[in-house]
Amino acid sequence: MLTITSLSKRHANAVQAVFSGLSFSVQAGEVVALVGESGVGKSTLLNCIAGLEPADEGSILVGRQAQDIVRLGEAARAALRASSIGFVFQAFHVLPTLSVAQNIAVPLLLAGVAAGEHAARIEALLARVGLAGFGPRWPASLSGGELQRVAIARALVHRPALILADEPTGNLDPRTADEILALLLERVREQHAAALIVTHSQHVAQCCDRVLTLTPEGLQ
Amino acid sequence: MIRLAWWLVRAQFTTRRMATALSMLAIALGVALGYAIHLINAAALADFSQAMKSVQGEPDAVIAPRDSAGQVPLALINEIARDADVAIIAPVIETRVRIDNATMAVKLIGLDVFSAAAVTPKLLPRQSDRVAGGSVFEDGVYASPTLLARFKLAPGDAVTLVRGDTHWRTRIAGDLPAARPDDLLLVADIAWVQARFGPAGGVSEGRVRLASGVRVGNWLGAWAGRLPAGLALRAAEDDSARVSNVSRAYRVNLNVLALVALLTGAFLVFATQLTAVAQRSTQFALLGVLGLSPRLRLWQVLLEGLAIGVPGAGLGLVLGYVMSLAFTQVIGGDLGGGYFSGSAPAILPRPAPALGFFALGCAASLTGALYPAWLNRIQPLAQALKTGFAQSPPSGGAAPRRRRWLKGAAMALVALAAIGLTRLPALFDLPLAGYAAIALVLVLGIGAAPPVTQIVFGALARLRLPAPLRIAVQNIVQAPLMAQVAASGLIVSFALTVSMVTMVSSFRTAVDQWLDVVLPAPMYVRSKGVPLPRELLGALAQPAAPFEKVERSAAVSLSLDPQRPAVALLVRELDRAEAAARLPFTGAVLAAPADRLVVWISEPMQQLYRLAPGQSLRLPLLGREVEAFIGGTWRDYARQFGAVVIGAADYVALGGRFEPTDLALWPRPGEEAAARTWLAKFTADYGLEMAESGEIRKLSLSIFDKSFAVTYALEAAAMLIGLFGLAVTLAAGVWLRARELATLSALGFDRAMLTRAVMFEGAMIAGIGLVIGLACGVAVGAILTHVVNPQAFHWRMKLEIPWLQVLPGAALSLLAGIFASRFAARQATRLPVAQVLANAQ
Ligand SMILES: Nc1ncnc2c1ncn2[C@@H]1O[C@H](COP(=O)(O)OP(=O)(O)OP(=O)(O)O)[C@@H](O)[C@H]1O
Ligand SMILES: [Mg+2]
Repeated sequence: MLTITSLSKRHANAVQAVFSGLSFSVQAGEVVALVGESGVGKSTLLNCIAGLEPADEGSILVGRQAQDIVRLGEAARAALRASSIGFVFQAFHVLPTLSVAQNIAVPLLLAGVAAGEHAARIEALLARVGLAGFGPRWPASLSGGELQRVAIARALVHRPALILADEPTGNLDPRTADEILALLLERVREQHAAALIVTHSQHVAQCCDRVLTLTPEGLQ
Repeated sequence: MIRLAWWLVRAQFTTRRMATALSMLAIALGVALGYAIHLINAAALADFSQAMKSVQGEPDAVIAPRDSAGQVPLALINEIARDADVAIIAPVIETRVRIDNATMAVKLIGLDVFSAAAVTPKLLPRQSDRVAGGSVFEDGVYASPTLLARFKLAPGDAVTLVRGDTHWRTRIAGDLPAARPDDLLLVADIAWVQARFGPAGGVSEGRVRLASGVRVGNWLGAWAGRLPAGLALRAAEDDSARVSNVSRAYRVNLNVLALVALLTGAFLVFATQLTAVAQRSTQFALLGVLGLSPRLRLWQVLLEGLAIGVPGAGLGLVLGYVMSLAFTQVIGGDLGGGYFSGSAPAILPRPAPALGFFALGCAASLTGALYPAWLNRIQPLAQALKTGFAQSPPSGGAAPRRRRWLKGAAMALVALAAIGLTRLPALFDLPLAGYAAIALVLVLGIGAAPPVTQIVFGALARLRLPAPLRIAVQNIVQAPLMAQVAASGLIVSFALTVSMVTMVSSFRTAVDQWLDVVLPAPMYVRSKGVPLPRELLGALAQPAAPFEKVERSAAVSLSLDPQRPAVALLVRELDRAEAAARLPFTGAVLAAPADRLVVWISEPMQQLYRLAPGQSLRLPLLGREVEAFIGGTWRDYARQFGAVVIGAADYVALGGRFEPTDLALWPRPGEEAAARTWLAKFTADYGLEMAESGEIRKLSLSIFDKSFAVTYALEAAAMLIGLFGLAVTLAAGVWLRARELATLSALGFDRAMLTRAVMFEGAMIAGIGLVIGLACGVAVGAILTHVVNPQAFHWRMKLEIPWLQVLPGAALSLLAGIFASRFAARQATRLPVAQVLANAQ
């Protein structure tokens, strides 16, 4: 689902590379935790995988067709994200002007899923994340934990092959964090997707199938 | 995908109702103005050419004297009638008469009933049953229905037609069933008219229908060489061309105003969409992460622009239609320009122009959305998610200093180009180069905004200001885009306002001074085209008349160019020696050689026919070509198509009949009241019009003010748009800094401090905008006064900058700008600090 080979990245005005020569892969149905010190480049790596930032060298094969996102143009990267990647952020990043249901529908619209299926899928997923009946509500009226569940539902709704999560629970109290994480893992496994989860929490890392540690010297 | 786009558009509209509605309105206003002008003008032109057709019929060619005092000899009419290529020629006599002693003169047309049936069927009379016996045209006159109604006459009534000293007692024999509702005319047999009012041995016009298969151009060519000097043969098509040429410059000017309104609309869309893009940068970045492609991010913003433009343009069409109806009812079809008279023309919207104006409105709002859309497309996703809106594309390429140098050079080039354009002559009789120069001045003003903001705020940043102010200043130095946009809006709107005020004030001052010179006498009498009665002229010559001095004048029209409206020949009692004192000359007055005829031409005449004092001018006068020496050019703000003054004595010496129609009267000192009563008897008996110079002056200036009233409305609209742009962009700037401001609050700055900081920022931006706007406005005003006006209307004037209006206007705008920034500040301080800090990571 995700295969990375000799990946290097240096920021535009930076002297030192954030990382270089990274190689690893994540299989379908596998949930991998990515840990490391602050500033070591975890978010940068996730951004490169999602094609939000360009990588300098190496290749990143994503999805069932194993397309190399490093070699794709901007529009093709966007299309690949729409079809194969789900993203969850530390900050909830929900569109405030769309209702909960509309927020979740966005990936379906972008992936071109037939409109007739939307309502049922969204309802089912909302129920699975414990937000049954929240569809017509506006984001401003939800709590942080609820918003993060909306974000998780949105990351899963179009059944992406790969899920990327950047500290998905960093903003929440430990109990809610555990609940949300359990939910995320459960859904990922249910959909037989691959997942790469950046986290600072030992507990979260333990729940994953495998733990990768990013250090300035490389992966361990 | 369409659904997503629609959701976003709807969300955008509901969260920013005010900005969206105002942008929509501005677009609507531009479209409405342009469309209304188009509708009114099309209607007026159609109306005018129909009116002309109803009176003139639809001949192929017309033969007429080039001098309105001249005639076409009957012998020539007969000769043309014998030409095998001519199907029929209809001789016509046109003259003006009064009915009894009414003040208004009406047209009397003498026709030959047989040829008229073929050429001018709309003028065919219908005999009333009430009028006994005889055949059509046997006796009496036929009146158009409108004339009957206006004068409360009915067939069978006796009327006296008066022209000068000639009276024709006759009766209304019937009506003109095919006359148009506006036609105020009388028709009678040509022989009867000729017997009463002349001209003996000739007619006013011959209207020619050619045999089928004969080409008008060929036929005209064949005859051109054979005509006597004072006559001209023209294709009837020339008349329509002339009609449309008459009001062309005026129309184009109005259209430029409409275009300006549309451009301000585009600016508002720009400000709205730019701030919308900035405020939603995280949202768009998120959508990008979810897979919305960059191209779709671009299209989304364009679509939002279009979503403003489509309803705006649609509303504009409706508004334009309503406006055109209202205008034609209230002011008439000439938009106050005085070119067409008559009743309100019928407005007839057609699909093609409506679609054109609709497209123009959409294009304007798309243009406004273009740059914001592009900025949205190039936002770096990861960064936008983390820190929000990036104001400029990631820089690269040329070093900053070199870029600054290049920008300076480009601006110098633009300035040079603008100066060069003001030197160019009119293109197609229109001041197109002048308009282009104005556009360049505005570009220059907008281009000056970024460096000036940078310099001013850079200098402020080095001052020791109180902390909140320093933070505001620092913010603009770091992120100047919003400030630049706000300043540009003010620059353009204030420049337009200042230039308009300057142009109108220069014009008004010039007209005011000109009226002083052209109205030297205390009293005036005129008879509107009908010669003054000899009884009055005789009485004036008596020593008993309470006047110290009387100057008589008459006017004739001369056709110098069939494509242009006729030129007025003003016959005045003027000595060549005293001309310099009596006419408002623009330059030196040349002494003519004693043996030569001298005339003085008006400024529009000089421009239109490219003449100069000292040259000789050939005038088609009294049936021949007369060569005259041009003694000088005088200022004339009344006759846009040219006028020539000739001394009455010279005119008479050439063989002309001096039949005065206007009098300038100087009552004996102390006898003003007596003079008024002395005149009253004549004015009542002969339907003359008497006015004192003060009244004429007041009336002229009030007409002037009325015709420019619409510009004040436009100025107000422009300033409102500029100020609104300032408020929108400042508010957006504040919104973008919500986090920063919230942090400051959390650190202990109170609301009043933050409000002051934002207001200070607004005042500085408004100040910069107003100063640059003032400079551009003066430049544009000078171009309007010195380039556009002379090229469009052929008159010149001195530049008068009305500082007494401009400076208070600037102060008021500054206050309004500070007020607008207060609105923005209020938004900022109302942000819930805790929520902002919690939400934004
Ligand atoms: N746009 C940028 N330009 C230059 N350097 C950057 C940019 N973005 C991030 N960096 C640098 O790259 C390094 C990696 O940053 P990144 O955000 O990936 O760290 P991280 O591992 O996610 O840290 P954290 O756990 O604190 O989120 C940091 O040293 C940061 O300073
Ligand atoms: Mg990070």
